[in-house]
Amino acid sequence: MHRRGHGIGAIKNKNLAQARYKDKGTLLAEDQFAQMAKQMETFRGHLEEFAAKHKDDIKKDPQFRIIEVCLATSHRNGGLIGLEELRDRLVASRGKRSQDISLDDVFCAIKKLKVLGNGFTVIPVGKTYLVQSVPGELSMDHTTVLQQAQEKGYVTKTDLLTKLKWEEERAVRTMNFMVKEGLAWIDDQAKERQYWFPSFFPYNTFAA
Amino acid sequence: MHREMEDFSWPWQYQFPPFFTIQPNSDTRKKQLEAWCALVLSYLKQKKSHSVDVTEIQNSPLFNNKEINRKLPPDGVYAVFEELQKKGHLEWKDQKTRKQCLIMWRTPEEWGKMIYDWITSKSMTNTVCTLYELSNGDDSEGQEFHGLEKWLLLRALQTLEQQGKAEIINFDGNEGVKFF
Repeated sequence: MHRRGHGIGAIKNKNLAQARYKDKGTLLAEDQFAQMAKQMETFRGHLEEFAAKHKDDIKKDPQFRIIEVCLATSHRNGGLIGLEELRDRLVASRGKRSQDISLDDVFCAIKKLKVLGNGFTVIPVGKTYLVQSVPGELSMDHTTVLQQAQEKGYVTKTDLLTKLKWEEERAVRTMNFMVKEGLAWIDDQAKERQYWFPSFFPYNTFAA
Repeated sequence: MHREMEDFSWPWQYQFPPFFTIQPNSDTRKKQLEAWCALVLSYLKQKKSHSVDVTEIQNSPLFNNKEINRKLPPDGVYAVFEELQKKGHLEWKDQKTRKQCLIMWRTPEEWGKMIYDWITSKSMTNTVCTLYELSNGDDSEGQEFHGLEKWLLLRALQTLEQQGKAEIINFDGNEGVKFF
């Protein structure tokens, strides 16, 4: 088995970490650092052992499975998933013998996640909710756009200017952010550019 | 649409209007092109077709979803084809004008492996057969490579040759292959 903590990769990482500490104005002595690295290694080993030992229990845990679904779908929706879609995928992943999962069940599980500080946020949009699982700041403006987009699955700049009474610069800045974060895709084959959110787009299969 | 495409399952992206606009965000564009590549390959696999005319395919349902009134523009199609070329799935018949190409939804290496595995399973190593027998004979009926076009069969066998698993030969005026 490959021995961790040795080899070129480990040395490179160590040098990088040393450099980072130096940048922060903290000088660690060589052997202090070596000791820290060793402790980290040991800790990581224990954690992996724990995870392997309790793999089945962990997999049954609703919080874990919510994180799993969010991670699995984030490449499609940028880390914003609709509450119903999340529930449907959880039910599907459980198989026939399981009990049904209600939206409330999902909601409660997410609340627990928030307490753990996992960076999960719930955003109300119209009659439903979006669950955000990627770290990063979504401002009030971003949330407002999401609420606006929930109706048709997309927004246009004109929507923001007329319905929200925003100024041009604010609308452009907000939409650029959402495109940059991978939350929105652009469609240039309509009368005006449309910003679509995969998070709101109906999905037909659970294929990745 | 032709009958063989009746049960073709389109990915969710095909109904998603922005899929037909090349995305400015590079991460999103990367995902988009990957999805297009996968769609092109599975579409042509369903049609069992390798030979592609760019103009014709641009206007086909593949790049043109009439239901949502969206069409991938020519530079988008070429971006997808460039990606396929990089991955070894596409070859231009006319590199300069780029109007005709061959799209191999299964690479020659993959075909070669499939054929060799089959040969081994039938204990047909150290035997000789003609190319025609191999791809069109009764024995290979039901195998995926049955009916494989000759140019692609040859490419596949050439990859086996490079691995020392076969030799393309000529006997009695027939093109054939010996497996080791």
